[in-house]
Amino acid sequence: MTSHIPPIDPRQLRAWLHGAARRDSADFRALYDATSAKLLGFALRILRKRELAEEALQETFVSVWNNAASYQSELAAPMTWLSTIVRNKAFDILRRSDGAVEIDGAQFDHDVMNALQDPQATPIEALQMSGDAKALAMCMAALEGPQRQVVGLAFYHDLSHSEVAQHLMMPIGTVKTWIRRSLDRLKKCLEKREHA
Amino acid sequence: MNIRNNPALRDKLAAEYALGTLKGGARRRFEGWLHGDAALRRLTAEWQDRLAPLAEFSTAQAPRKQVWRAIEARLRLQRPASAWQFWRNPSLPFWRTLGLASSAAAAMLVVVLTTRMLDAPMLDYVATLSDDKSQAALLLTADNRHRRLDVRVLSAAPVASDKTLQLWAVPRQGAPRSLGVLAGRRSARLALPASAIGGDVVLLAVSLEPKGGSTDPGGPSGPILYKGNWVRLL
Repeated sequence: MTSHIPPIDPRQLRAWLHGAARRDSADFRALYDATSAKLLGFALRILRKRELAEEALQETFVSVWNNAASYQSELAAPMTWLSTIVRNKAFDILRRSDGAVEIDGAQFDHDVMNALQDPQATPIEALQMSGDAKALAMCMAALEGPQRQVVGLAFYHDLSHSEVAQHLMMPIGTVKTWIRRSLDRLKKCLEKREHA
Repeated sequence: MNIRNNPALRDKLAAEYALGTLKGGARRRFEGWLHGDAALRRLTAEWQDRLAPLAEFSTAQAPRKQVWRAIEARLRLQRPASAWQFWRNPSLPFWRTLGLASSAAAAMLVVVLTTRMLDAPMLDYVATLSDDKSQAALLLTADNRHRRLDVRVLSAAPVASDKTLQLWAVPRQGAPRSLGVLAGRRSARLALPASAIGGDVVLLAVSLEPKGGSTDPGGPSGPILYKGNWVRLL
């Protein structure tokens, strides 16, 4: 089941989060309805198996309900906060599953991968994602393939520098440099887009 | 190690923390610094905001229904109210606009009533009930001393001969309280129980019912035609 969901206004998400903090179960449900498909897609990217990904989603929303009051809207965008929780819950499950989840070469979905490799053939503008994600995709596309890959490996698979190095069979020094350089370039590229 | 005066290192660590490559002792140490360093927290949040959209680099997948059911069960959330209890859903924009419109209308009536009816019975509360287009349809006045509730029809749609209008006070929690059926065509006088003007009443509603009133002991059985709320007169 694939669904295309338009990006949601962060102010609306913030209002629902505050509602959840006030123990408003209707707001909490609205937040779930608006974000769960996106967050499940992300959990699936990490865990590969639907049962595990749905478990991560369940843990995420239990945690959101219990911690909504501690959400600081001035510090994090609502989607950032939610996806950070998904990632932590997915990594918990990943650690428990003890290597049962394989790490594949492709870090991104087929369409996204194509768009990152060749934005002329698959326009990033046409991807189903928020403006922030499109900006990041354009900056990711500007990186060289291997540098993009190290960022993806680290972000989606909870790998340390040395684990990324092992996985790619490369010296750890090279991996560290690549990651450092990739992050620097992403930051500069995003800042430039913001001020453009 | 002191990282306060090393902006390049602070940025590098915040980035690696957000990406996830900062692990073990280094990660715990960094979290310790985060605790007492608001600027470092902000720096880290900025990196998290930059990288978080990576979560969207995968196709959205609708979760199966049992996921929500499991969440609901674990958190012991209340089941959503049934369809006719639309006013239980506070996020309905309709209810918000209606609330504003009807309290504005009632506030105007307060002025009219307090200036014109100085010698009239002691009125404690007044309410206008409006239809779904915010047209005022009924005027309610409550006389707490005499325990009387007067309903006057302003512009309500005609009611078929086998139907009747029934007035309800809807509390924040629990079932709506029937205040009685409106027998007259232009006006009706009802008894005013304390529960009709209690502080927990969040809504007054009029439903269209079969002659004799709602067949549902738990609340209205027909559609809600008019809604509004009390305004207290000083």
